[in-house]
Amino acid sequence: MPFFPKAASFLRNLFLTRRVERDLDLEVRSHLQLLIDENRRAGMSPQEAQRAARMELGGAEQVKQQVREQRLGDSLHSWISDCRFGVRQLHKNPGFTLTVVLTLALSVGANTAIFSLVNALLLKSLPYPHPERMATIYTSIIGPSAASDERHNVNGEQWELLRDNVPALISAVSSVRPSGVNLKAGSHVEYVQDGRVSAHYFDVLGLHPVLGRNFSEDEDRPHGPKTVILSYSLWRNAFAADPGILGQTILLRSDPLTVVGVLPPGATTPLNADVYTSLQPSREGEGRGTNFRCVIRLRDGASWQEADAQINRAWLSRPGLYELAGNPGAKVSYHLVPLQKGQTDLLRPQVLALMVAAGLILLIACANLAGLTLVRMLRRTSEVATRLALGASGWQIQRQFWIENLLLALIGGVAGTAVGFLGLRSLLLLLPEHFLPVAGAPLDARVMSFTLTVSVLTSVLFGMLPALVARKVDLRSSMADRAVARAGSLRLRQSLLAGEVALSVVLLAGSGLLIRSLTHLETLPPGFNPNGVMVAKASLDDVRYHDPAAFRKLLDESTAAMREIPGVQNAAVGLNLPYEFVGNDYVMLSDGKEAGQQGGADWTYVTPGYFNTLQMPVLAGRVFTDADDLTSQHVAVVNQSFARKFYGGSNPVGRYIDKDLFNGRGILIVGEVADVPISSGLDPVAPLQTEQTMYIPATQVDGQLLALLHQWLQPDWIVRTTGPVDGLTAAMQRALNTADPNLPASGFYSMKDLLARTLATQRIEVALLGAMAALALLLSAVGIFALVANMVAQRTREIGIRMALGSTVGQVMLQIGRSGVNASLLGVVLGLVLSAGALRLMSSVIYGIGVYDVTTILVVVFTISAVTLLATTIPALRIASIDPARTLREE
Amino acid sequence: MPSQPTTLLQGTLDLLILKSLATAELHGLGISRRIQQITGGTFVVKPGSLFPALHRMEEEGWTSSFWGDSENNRRAKYYRLTKAGRKQLETESKRWGRISLAIAQALETS
Repeated sequence: MPFFPKAASFLRNLFLTRRVERDLDLEVRSHLQLLIDENRRAGMSPQEAQRAARMELGGAEQVKQQVREQRLGDSLHSWISDCRFGVRQLHKNPGFTLTVVLTLALSVGANTAIFSLVNALLLKSLPYPHPERMATIYTSIIGPSAASDERHNVNGEQWELLRDNVPALISAVSSVRPSGVNLKAGSHVEYVQDGRVSAHYFDVLGLHPVLGRNFSEDEDRPHGPKTVILSYSLWRNAFAADPGILGQTILLRSDPLTVVGVLPPGATTPLNADVYTSLQPSREGEGRGTNFRCVIRLRDGASWQEADAQINRAWLSRPGLYELAGNPGAKVSYHLVPLQKGQTDLLRPQVLALMVAAGLILLIACANLAGLTLVRMLRRTSEVATRLALGASGWQIQRQFWIENLLLALIGGVAGTAVGFLGLRSLLLLLPEHFLPVAGAPLDARVMSFTLTVSVLTSVLFGMLPALVARKVDLRSSMADRAVARAGSLRLRQSLLAGEVALSVVLLAGSGLLIRSLTHLETLPPGFNPNGVMVAKASLDDVRYHDPAAFRKLLDESTAAMREIPGVQNAAVGLNLPYEFVGNDYVMLSDGKEAGQQGGADWTYVTPGYFNTLQMPVLAGRVFTDADDLTSQHVAVVNQSFARKFYGGSNPVGRYIDKDLFNGRGILIVGEVADVPISSGLDPVAPLQTEQTMYIPATQVDGQLLALLHQWLQPDWIVRTTGPVDGLTAAMQRALNTADPNLPASGFYSMKDLLARTLATQRIEVALLGAMAALALLLSAVGIFALVANMVAQRTREIGIRMALGSTVGQVMLQIGRSGVNASLLGVVLGLVLSAGALRLMSSVIYGIGVYDVTTILVVVFTISAVTLLATTIPALRIASIDPARTLREE
Repeated sequence: MPSQPTTLLQGTLDLLILKSLATAELHGLGISRRIQQITGGTFVVKPGSLFPALHRMEEEGWTSSFWGDSENNRRAKYYRLTKAGRKQLETESKRWGRISLAIAQALETS
């Protein structure tokens, strides 16, 4: 079979259409002429000759069409012309096209953005070799008085047993999160994130330094050599990629460290820090608590079963089961969790809930689009009938509709990708730093194919309905029974609308609950006066302040300097403030009938001016004075919850706790203050709650504990002012520097800022679900609007007759508007029924209100009603401008 | 002359066109008349069948076309066989021979 002439013809037919057509035209004409000549030769008259020739030819256009139909590439040709026709159709109805594209852009965009998150968090494999051989380990405590199934990291004892007795694994631990510290190298000073890791940490991750080496086991022992590994970007930016960096000394926390390695470019770790130092984990200090985050890798040739058995043997024989202190009868279990799952477990439910919400948006959009295309289809009934009459096949007509839908899907998909990209950008900006355990959420091939699939699927879903209707169109019905088809389609559109409204109700109710919950948290009785308080944070993770005397000097001098600032009434320092995360420890009651009782309590240090500066009411006893120091009796101030939990609400002043400490002198409770909301680490049931808390004088904390605490937390300097003070933060920084010229504040906050930081997750949830609900509401409104507007347009004649017969504009508006209102009402009822089931799933993320919150439901119903009213009234207003005389004349 | 020609078997038209072009270059009407002539008037090919077939065969590469002048000086599109066309005529003829033989045989036995 000769290929070349075929290909040449194909290309000629496709690209030289005009020449091929002209040639054909000439050929047919010349054929006619030859026939006429022949007839003339046979003796016919000119007219007769022509008539006979035309009859034999049988219609020039039909002959040409028959030639065209068997041309190579003819089907492609008709596809292209269908596309052209489709584009023209879309261009001719800009209102329809714009509505569809916008609807698609918003709904596909929302899905693209959320799916990018799902992809980055749950689907993309971790950027390490053989991520399936990596895992993390959690422990959990199940017992009579352990309320939550909270997951704990591992402590020093568990770590040592894991390291020494589980040969099936390469194990490593790190600090739970990186800490902000000051780096000084020569004259270069920079605030960096320090990730503290054990030996073999980078072996587990499969990372090999480009320069130097990983930490050795020797460096990982307590008091081992002090060394540091730099990230590639820090090495480039701060050290100009100095190839001789190894062996140089840099200051971190004012502590000299030797550089032993530089990580490869683009290397990510679960900590994503700028520098890495040795964790030097042990059973002492932070190793007493579950403060180590574990990463493990299965050794080649070992199986998870072996590893499991070895961990079991090692851990269950532990002598000091700390978890059981104050929790008799509890059981400790551990979980090996794949690393990715471990990293994203906390976010997984939220992200999946968002994905479901985005899916609902897509459904609503589909229903809307189906309604719109259905109307458009019905408007084109006469066009379809004409084409059928002219001989177009059903398939040709169907194909035309499908092509138009696909065109819309593609335009909408592109617009949706753009919207999704922008949405994702703003979403990531909204998130606090280090909120996501991944470096970013890129629009990769998987996201793009998801978007394409979604837009095409949407187009198929909303295109199916009109196409099915189109199949039923036949010549007779299209001429005669238009009213019948319309009544049927109205009911269909109303059901679609009701469905949309129902889904909107669910989303609105869900976001309403989140808003109510956030409001509840934000308006909790503070227990202090948050107005007029300014906060400066600074890192004391610095070897100079491991000495209590130096620490006390800093506190005294800096607070004294701050009190000198004009307009400042008082100044103080505390390790934590209300709304912030507070550490905790076990306390043992030492006297009275409660003697020997143990329990967890939050724990923080403060300077004497703390309670006065925050204006926290003192309920009993006294607060601290400058006389409380390391040489005097250790004292504590407790809050009301503490007194209630441990002393049944009776006055705690004068009672002793932890009598075994401090040579048997223990801690004397000297005062009781009001409760303040905090972010709990002890037993978190809500993002903000009041909990038993113990305040200790900052001057009674020993050096070892100071070093430990400041590794995790940055203390707060607070001042109270009567009114706004110009340049307050600058003045606070100067005051800090009079005590220590090398101490930069890491940030300044109002109490409102701290509250917002603690409730960041809730705010993000509100923002995201709120945006989704608003989108759903908007789409539903567009749906109702389109329905009513369309009714007005279709029934202009009927309206004219009614008005000519004496109906008032109001009556007709009511009549027409009812279609939208009825659909919406049905939707609300349906939505409330759906909500009754769906909202129960939210009980774990709402606080202070019930799932069936009457206010929320009323507001949702009111909002939908208002929007429905608006969306039906605006198009119905056009009825007023209908002139009965003119409409009747026109038809 | 039968005005209603016998329905052409699939492939027959191609064979007849190829055959008519075997001895001369012809334009459309020429081919039509030639077929009429060589089949003793049994087949009259109407333009509605002729032209699609001609164009298809040209696309297949069996014929090529050119514009020329007719006997009474009319511009007309002429067709001629290509090498591939001659080969096609040969194979088609053989195939047709086999088919007609088989059909004749089938009709004789009974």
